[in-house]
Amino acid sequence: MIEFSPEVAESIITIASFVASGLALIAGVGPGIGMGYAAGKATTAVRRQPEARGAIITTMLLGQVVSGSTGIYSLIIAIFLIFGI
Amino acid sequence: MKEIKDPKKLQKKILKTTYLIALLPIISAIAAGDMESLLGFVFGLVVATLLLRLKYNNIIRALNMDMESAEKFIRNRYFAEYGLYFLVLFTAARNPSLNFLAAAVGLFMIKFTVLLLSVKDLLKDTFQSQFDRYK
Repeated sequence: MIEFSPEVAESIITIASFVASGLALIAGVGPGIGMGYAAGKATTAVRRQPEARGAIITTMLLGQVVSGSTGIYSLIIAIFLIFGI
Repeated sequence: MKEIKDPKKLQKKILKTTYLIALLPIISAIAAGDMESLLGFVFGLVVATLLLRLKYNNIIRALNMDMESAEKFIRNRYFAEYGLYFLVLFTAARNPSLNFLAAAVGLFMIKFTVLLLSVKDLLKDTFQSQFDRYK
């Protein structure tokens, strides 16, 4: 079994935590794509039915507020990994 | 909540409920004398409120665009918001007078409130339909 000195082991852990935080940030891309898709569909819906504008905006606002959470979860994990809080 | 069709009224209702719920951790932090948590929580909550306003303004702007532009616009704005969230959390992590977890919870308060109100609506509808069935 390979044994590392404490300095080398610490460096490996630091590098691994940085790589892991980078990987965690990938989760932040998904909500952006989803929100953009929903916004595109909402514009089409408003063109088709302008009287439902208020209802569409409220639904979109609620949806966007909640769907952004997963990205922030990943951000928190990434910051945890970087700073080791 | 779903009966509210005016987005401004909805925002007011969400913010009022959020602040009402936020009183509990604020009073608890004051009673415990934990000023780092209090400051972190208030910091997160204020930024979350401003980001909700920003999101509303972005949606209004996006609805006047065509489909592709709106898609691109909202996507880009989301990444800008993501950067702002990163800055807030980074500041909370680096600053010793702000509690990181309290700031994170403050950022999530509006989302928790929206989820809570939606669950309340869902339960209300479920019980109403059950009552109507047995009438």
